[in-house]
Amino acid sequence: MFFYLIRRILYAIPIALAVGFVCFMLVQIAPGDPINAIVPADAPGDVVEQVRRDYGLDKPLPVQFGIWLMKVVQGDLGRSLATGRSVWSDLSSAISNTLMLALVASMIGFVLGCILGGLAGTFRGSIIDRAAVTIAVAGVSVPHYWLGMVLVVIFSVQLNWLPAMGAGPGGSADWVWNWEHMQHLVLPAVTLAVIPMGIVTRTVRGIIAEIMNQEFVTALRGKGLTRAGIFLHVVKNAAPNALAVMGLQLGYLMGGSILVETVFSWPGTGLLLNNAIFQRDLPVLQGTILVLAMFFVALNLAVDLVQTALDPRIKRA
Amino acid sequence: MKLRRFLLTACLAALPLVAAAPAMAQGTIRIGMTAADIPLTNGQPDQGFEGNRFTGIPLFDSLTMWDLSAADRPSVVIPGLATEWRVDPNDRTRWIFTLRRGVRFHDGSEFNADAVVWNVRKVLDREAPHFDPRQVGVTATRMPTLRRAEKIDDHTVALFTSEPDSLLPINLTNLFMASPTQWQRFRDANPTAEAAWNAFAREPSGTGPFRVTRFVPRERLEMARNDNYWGTKARAERIVLLPIPEANARTAALLSNQVDWIEAPAPDAIPQLRSRGMAITSNAQPHVWPWQPCFAEGSPLRDVRVRRALNLAIDREGLRTLLGGMMAVPVGTVPEGHPWWGNPSFRIRTDKAEARRLLAEAGYGPNRPLNLRVQISASGSGQMQPLPMNEFVQQELKEVGVNVEFDVIEWNALFTNWRNGCQHASARGAHATNVSFAAMDPFFAMVRFWDSKMAPPVSNNWGHFNDPRFDEMIRVARNTFDAAERDAALARLHAAGVDEALFIWIAHDVSPRAMSPRIRGYVQPQSWFVDLRLPYVQ
Amino acid sequence: MSTATTPTAAEAELAVQARQAVAKSQGYWAGVWKRLRRDPVTIGCAIVLLAMLLVIVFAPLVAPHDPYQGSMIRRLRAIGTPNYILGTDELGRDMLTRLIHGGRLSWFMGITPVLLAFVIGTFLGVLAGFAGGKVNMAIMRVTDVFYAFPSVLLAVAISGALGAGIVNAILALTLVFIPPIIRVAESVTTGVRNLDFVDAARASGASAFTIVRVHVLGNVLGPIFVYATSLISVCMILASGLSFLGLGTKPPEPEWGLMLNTLRTAIYVQPWVAVLPGVCIFVTSICFNLLSDGLRQAMDVKG
Repeated sequence: MFFYLIRRILYAIPIALAVGFVCFMLVQIAPGDPINAIVPADAPGDVVEQVRRDYGLDKPLPVQFGIWLMKVVQGDLGRSLATGRSVWSDLSSAISNTLMLALVASMIGFVLGCILGGLAGTFRGSIIDRAAVTIAVAGVSVPHYWLGMVLVVIFSVQLNWLPAMGAGPGGSADWVWNWEHMQHLVLPAVTLAVIPMGIVTRTVRGIIAEIMNQEFVTALRGKGLTRAGIFLHVVKNAAPNALAVMGLQLGYLMGGSILVETVFSWPGTGLLLNNAIFQRDLPVLQGTILVLAMFFVALNLAVDLVQTALDPRIKRA
Repeated sequence: MKLRRFLLTACLAALPLVAAAPAMAQGTIRIGMTAADIPLTNGQPDQGFEGNRFTGIPLFDSLTMWDLSAADRPSVVIPGLATEWRVDPNDRTRWIFTLRRGVRFHDGSEFNADAVVWNVRKVLDREAPHFDPRQVGVTATRMPTLRRAEKIDDHTVALFTSEPDSLLPINLTNLFMASPTQWQRFRDANPTAEAAWNAFAREPSGTGPFRVTRFVPRERLEMARNDNYWGTKARAERIVLLPIPEANARTAALLSNQVDWIEAPAPDAIPQLRSRGMAITSNAQPHVWPWQPCFAEGSPLRDVRVRRALNLAIDREGLRTLLGGMMAVPVGTVPEGHPWWGNPSFRIRTDKAEARRLLAEAGYGPNRPLNLRVQISASGSGQMQPLPMNEFVQQELKEVGVNVEFDVIEWNALFTNWRNGCQHASARGAHATNVSFAAMDPFFAMVRFWDSKMAPPVSNNWGHFNDPRFDEMIRVARNTFDAAERDAALARLHAAGVDEALFIWIAHDVSPRAMSPRIRGYVQPQSWFVDLRLPYVQ
Repeated sequence: MSTATTPTAAEAELAVQARQAVAKSQGYWAGVWKRLRRDPVTIGCAIVLLAMLLVIVFAPLVAPHDPYQGSMIRRLRAIGTPNYILGTDELGRDMLTRLIHGGRLSWFMGITPVLLAFVIGTFLGVLAGFAGGKVNMAIMRVTDVFYAFPSVLLAVAISGALGAGIVNAILALTLVFIPPIIRVAESVTTGVRNLDFVDAARASGASAFTIVRVHVLGNVLGPIFVYATSLISVCMILASGLSFLGLGTKPPEPEWGLMLNTLRTAIYVQPWVAVLPGVCIFVTSICFNLLSDGLRQAMDVKG
């Protein structure tokens, strides 16, 4: 068990390095001279050459990767071509905004998914089951950016109940957990929640149905345990898997919020990425992808560790 | 009797309200911009003229400024931080500017001749400790003849140009005066000049009617009224700028009361906005929404017949329908009757038969279709509704057998590429670029596109147009310091430009804005800019 | 096996299925078909998809108008306008025609990456599973790396770096879908490889190629195919999402995601017309999902 943990953590290191390498290569595969990713297009020639030497772009690729990696490890993600601000300064606020959105969306998705999946799994084959499954399939099949547009038209424009864009009256910088700010979160979070809702519903339904069929539940029933007692048992056995699925979903939402953030002008990593792509601001593009991917690696690790801790029956080779 | 007393009481009751209105001048105006990010606040904004409109003019002043106070007459250049100026009769490359006295920057330091010299050097003197390459692109291209500044005394400076240039005072509306003291303060605290400029951009200091109070990158810029402003003070207490590049999101933001004012609402949303009580404003303005051709070797647009054919193939009235009436139909860079109009012999109109004939004459036809690649943006200052508009033009040209492919890039990138030219890698082989431009002064309207010396990286002759006839006409205009004679020279230039079809002229913007009925006092001048001192919230 | 992520429930299920599939008698596929026939939802979805496919393939014959020819006079007509049953778009082009033609690119961009990933991923996965050892190690560790990116992020990153365009978008999406298919193929193959009859075949002197072709592929392709059908739905949403962002197709090409984007501003005038492309994506995607579910259930003995 202990050795598994150590091995699992050690294993994350080469993965992280390789992820870094992929991000590094993003700039290399981009059309044009990678120097254009670092200096503005209208910089004078001598400045360009100076930067080329500073960044070691005249050296072979592995050396360049080494130089880049050293900078990244020291927290230097470079400067935005468009604004001149350090990538990290923009990224840090964007990440917390995206994390907030993704967490809230995950929570909505998780709670709804558990309720739907639980009902469906318990009453398998009934009308409830069918309805829940239909909702779940719809959730994973809907183009959520489209759903976002529809929600804006209904709730912001027609009914005027909820704001259509932004992260609150004062922007994200003075976010407070009050209704005035939180109402900005409602539409994007609900839009983003439909996919995890669908996935969690399916997963929970599957797990519950499987556990309910297992012998120990039948045995418990035979022992005359109450429904509540059985329910507790089921939850205890279903929780690790459901949590694992949810944890990964959080990661997917963090990385996949670009469309929703664009629709709602939510000032997170997705919007940052979108602007960076169309401004061809490669340092911002690279930095954002790197940090999000690293977050995902860490999340994977955490989910694995938590799952192992919660459910020692899961055997690890 | 009773009625009269009632009326009297009512009037008396209303009196303080009426009297107080101008003095009460208050409130916060929240503006939804079309830019994807806050334009730079270091003194020389990026994001095109939307940048000047929102983070240039309100925060900083320039030596000369635009009169933006009236809607019913063309906007002209008026004194700003300089009270008067004249060219040295003995040396026509030397201008003397007398500076306004008693002006202070937001940080309290004094505006004087040293500050002017410092601000000229920030973009023109590579040796200056505060030289900022980032600001060069958006500044030097707008005043290409300016070379240096020299202090004469505390309130007089001399500006030097590379050649006689009667247009300099107009160009100087683009050189904003940032506070040297504030910058030096940041320089002392930061290891490099670049870092100092970045710090300055977070806490800028100019002499303008508003000062920055809060800057949340990518999200919002808040400015408060500068109560020590040297001129007429602003009426609104605070202005909040929000970047909302997507037209639909802007409209939704206005309709759900998240902003009070949006730039360029989606034309299709205008009826809905009106029905919800929003005011839609628009006004003629010196603006051109063109395709700017590439004249380099190998570009099919080198052929004047092709350029003319494209100009004749577009049904601009149809385009106006697409925009809900929110555009004016161009017949050149300036409208007919303008002092620089000049009566060109080539009439820009819709004549598809003639367009086909010209294309056939140039060697294009069903067997050899003309394929064009055009670089466009999806949004941006002055770009109107670039995607549907370009798609419309594409369809119109298809009818005369021209296939158009678009390279859609972000606005700021398109704008940067504009200074790189059509032979640069950033053009990615485009035959035309779709950067809309301001035509309020001769340099912006014509000189920078048609003068061979203005080829990249100097200025915006993106297509590398090179014709000695045009260079000569421009030289004459620049050397003419008499206003009427200069207009005549410019009219000849404009007529020649239209005859050569140096642009595909597609639309003039009328700068639609939508605002909440709570906004009062707003004036939409015949300009790209607005005077943010005028509007206030009731 | 310790990998970067725990295999998802779907993968585990597939591996089990594959083992069971092997044990099945000749009547297996007959049974699958029998179960499918009794599943009205799956049959319904298959019919809807087939109908869509036919309409799309024969678009020029079916569509009432020219997809590129518009007119400002008749722009943004409502649904139900005579001659323009689904209304017209922002440039006055017939919506029905654009939707039909748009389906071509949307389907193409939804299916091509999955198909490519299916071929490449199956090859690599079976290779890894069958060869084992260092080959397995190399292939699977690289897969792990790509698994470390959330799928949308990877697609956006690659097409963002390469620049907009259909080819780049397809390339990006293919890269996104290869790793999950490799994983499924590898785990299924490993499962099959250790079964008795493969050992028997090996003992009887059959070449590795023959074993893979006859025994492994025969048992592996089915489950992976089912898995791949479920990816089509995801891929279609992702592809139109890229177009919606401006990273996929370019105007004036009709494509559902791009149409959704350009019709965004019409949502105040003709909301129902503006949401139509989204409805198309939704219906296609949900049908592929349900079809995939139905197939999976029909092929699973436990039903």
